[in-house]
Amino acid sequence: MNGKSRARLVHLLISKSIIEALLMTFVAVAFFFATTNPYVRGVLDNADRVSVTGWVVDESRPSARIEVQLFVDDRFAAAAIADRYRPDVHEAKRAADDWHGFVFDTPKLSVGSHEARVYAVHSNGSGARRTLQLIGKPYRFQTE
Amino acid sequence: MNSASVTKTKESGIADPLSERSLAAWEIVSVTSSVLIAEWILSAAAGRSKLIVAIPTTLAFILIICSHLLRRESPRELGFRFDNFLSALKLLLLPMIAIAGISLLIALLSGARPDFFRWHVERMILIQLSIAFGWGFLQQYVLQSFINRRAQILWGRGTASILLTALIFSGLHFPNPWLMVLTFVGGLVWAFVYQRQPNLFALAVSHSLMTWVLVSTLPTSALNHLRIGFKYFA
Repeated sequence: MNGKSRARLVHLLISKSIIEALLMTFVAVAFFFATTNPYVRGVLDNADRVSVTGWVVDESRPSARIEVQLFVDDRFAAAAIADRYRPDVHEAKRAADDWHGFVFDTPKLSVGSHEARVYAVHSNGSGARRTLQLIGKPYRFQTE
Repeated sequence: MNSASVTKTKESGIADPLSERSLAAWEIVSVTSSVLIAEWILSAAAGRSKLIVAIPTTLAFILIICSHLLRRESPRELGFRFDNFLSALKLLLLPMIAIAGISLLIALLSGARPDFFRWHVERMILIQLSIAFGWGFLQQYVLQSFINRRAQILWGRGTASILLTALIFSGLHFPNPWLMVLTFVGGLVWAFVYQRQPNLFALAVSHSLMTWVLVSTLPTSALNHLRIGFKYFA
């Protein structure tokens, strides 16, 4: 292969790598937005042996009710819609109305330390993919 | 830069930091990475439309074709020929019979009932074999006419380049364990035969017939519908 052909081949290989790198970047960003709702805000306020409570709002659709799922010690425990009365969230101007709270009954647990996590369920445009998005921080609690 | 690695081409006299072997290695890595991107990243990230998978595949084919043109490789050299069809088939016959015999034996030992019509039951077997021939031809073209030939630039004709071709072919079938073993063995045989009798038509015949035999004899659960890459977990 002569020098010119070799240079052309090198340019081709570099161009292909650049296009693929750009494609991967585009896919990573698109995948993030397809699986994550950056407008979800919420807090897991409390967890104990009786209940797990908090609130969640989709700031891009402030009057929509969000589906949430409770996991205790990394195990699915329950699903619900965050539509409980929480006037404080509305007063703090985080929501368009008073109905964005969630309350779960804590499942029966052994004595000791446990961790509760609540996730908002996010569905992409076509509904083909549903993902979970952690609300606030995991909450550790004790049962006696 | 290490001066030893800098070569001057006879024609242009331009200093060229890339040796022929490094360039061949880069070409192999580039095409392999395109297939992996399609198999693992794009098929996982893509929604219902899988059109995005066509982008790296198309880029890989553009590179392969341009590389043939720039290296002045003729279709005959690449294996698009009929004069050695029978010679290539003759070399393939014995390993094909051996693999078919072993897979029949495995089927009998594992209690699986061979069924030569279960491969895509919705299609006539002749149509399915024609599709498999086309798909096999395409795979053999990339594997032999490109990867095997570049591997020969790297390490010459023989064991090392045959092994590299088979390893790449097997690696592209990760994480399907049975398929990885089968494609490694197939890769060794096909790369060996191609280095002696480069004929893509004979390899495609062998590829489609062996796929048919394996799908018809080995337990369905073992091959997981020939799924590879991210789809393996679907």
